Amino acid sequence: MIITFGLLALFFAAVVWVLQRNRTVDQSFTDYAVGGRSFGARYQAMSFLNTWYPGSMFTAFGALSVTAGVMSFYVLSYSLLTVVLLFVLARPVWIWGKAYDLRTQGDLFALRYGSRHIRTVAALIGIVSGLPWLVLGMQALGNLFQAMSLGALSFSTSVVVGVLVIALRQVWTVRMGMRGVVISDYMQGIVAYIGGGLMLVGLIVWLVMARGSTLGTLDPKMFAIPSFSSKEGPLYLFALMFTGALGGWCWPYIFVRLFTADGVRSLKKSAALAVPLTFLFGVALLIFGMLASKVPEAVAKPDDVWFIVSEQAGGLVLLGLAGVVLLAASMGHTDGNIQAYGAQLANDLVGNYVQLEQRQMIVIAKVGMLLLTLLASWLATLTLPALFSLAVLAYQGIIQLSIPQFLGIFWRRGSRQGAFAGMILGFVTAVGLEVAYGGQLPFGYGLTSGCFGLAVNLLVYVACAYLLPQSAEEQQRVDELFTVVEANREGRTAVPPQTRPAMA
Amino acid sequence: MLKQSSPAPLRRGIVKLWFAFDAVVALAPPLYWAADGRTATVAGLPTALFYFLAVSLCITASLIAAYLLDTSDEGAAA
Repeated sequence: MIITFGLLALFFAAVVWVLQRNRTVDQSFTDYAVGGRSFGARYQAMSFLNTWYPGSMFTAFGALSVTAGVMSFYVLSYSLLTVVLLFVLARPVWIWGKAYDLRTQGDLFALRYGSRHIRTVAALIGIVSGLPWLVLGMQALGNLFQAMSLGALSFSTSVVVGVLVIALRQVWTVRMGMRGVVISDYMQGIVAYIGGGLMLVGLIVWLVMARGSTLGTLDPKMFAIPSFSSKEGPLYLFALMFTGALGGWCWPYIFVRLFTADGVRSLKKSAALAVPLTFLFGVALLIFGMLASKVPEAVAKPDDVWFIVSEQAGGLVLLGLAGVVLLAASMGHTDGNIQAYGAQLANDLVGNYVQLEQRQMIVIAKVGMLLLTLLASWLATLTLPALFSLAVLAYQGIIQLSIPQFLGIFWRRGSRQGAFAGMILGFVTAVGLEVAYGGQLPFGYGLTSGCFGLAVNLLVYVACAYLLPQSAEEQQRVDELFTVVEANREGRTAVPPQTRPAMA
Repeated sequence: MLKQSSPAPLRRGIVKLWFAFDAVVALAPPLYWAADGRTATVAGLPTALFYFLAVSLCITASLIAAYLLDTSDEGAAA
């Protein structure tokens, strides 16, 4: 235990040391919420990866590749499509962010649709949908600390230890805001995805050489993909990938990455840097899991495949390093979550209705992060049987932000009425179907409730755009927004018609 | 194929088409239905795995190409 916990402690101390060295005083809420829009491509790429791939990649998706084989590659397909969307979204979102001092996803909604109340709706959907995932992320650390204790700690005690460690880590997230998140993401990302990727390659070689596990020796069922004969339905994989790719940019903690870069070029370069890393890490992890399906201990406990194979291949030192990798991935995801929700609380909820000074906004964000950390930590120590179901349901709900978000960015005809009505009806459809049928729709051929919600959402949004024409004044306001982006593309500068999105 | 001397709108059009192609090959159900359960090898890999790797490589290559072309556009404009 000294070796495994010692390695974890060393890594934790190294992260804190890096954060302490880079501590500065934020001058404004923009500094605190989006790091002053000051980060280059490498920081952006690692920050995106460290938030996108949580520690559960090694546990939940590792387990899926052990048990379900090649179908687990769907996570790689939609992750890569998400990076493509990063490239596509980079210019309009960053330009609007800089021109109008946007700090949250809700700010973009308010700007595009000229309504401050839509900022509240988007923030509430984001925070409510994200909380179950935050709690699940904390609980997942239970697997880590139980494995590091070599089974000496019970699972419930391990969860408490994990929660205490991740809550302690949030001290620096609260103090340093987005700057701390991005700087630590850079270090954590290198450890988790470059270090972890190299470990995965080594473990694949070990599985082939020492255990004789090759693709040719795997059970043929490992190459099944849900189709007409599957119980999930023929469109199940499509639903997972489609909602996964669209939904990625609906999470506030992912979306805010578009505001932290120092320019459009850095964002696009970050996509070009992140995409090969996403590909190599994803392929290594999923092939590793498939080959590990020949290890009986991993099959018996697939969630722990990362720890089991590491320990078998390299003893306690490699087990400790496996723990460091998973802790690095988990910390990046959790601190990104907490920072984004704290900023939303101050900017989109309290600050949306009360005139606040910059310093007051920062204080409210810090208090919000602290309260959120305490709430999530407390929930993580409870036994909540419906938590995973709630988390799945939340995903079907949050993707309803995608219609007003993507169409609002690229289509000037979309209106405020369509955005509100589409989101709300889409959300109600998804939740209603989920409640009525409990996950698997008998008429869906594998499509999830969120897909049906999206269809309703899209229909309502487009219908409102054509049937409820915008006023000439509103149309001109929207046209001016798009002119700012077009002017930038053509190398001209257009004067923003307003300085902050709808505040009144 | 994607020469830097070709017009910028053409290059942007090609990138858009490639991104659309990425979405089709990744999401179109008939493609993965066709790969379901296939263990016969293509390029030394079981077909089902080859499908996912080919899709992933296609997306990865498209994004790197898009960035390189975008950079060359900006360089030409400067």
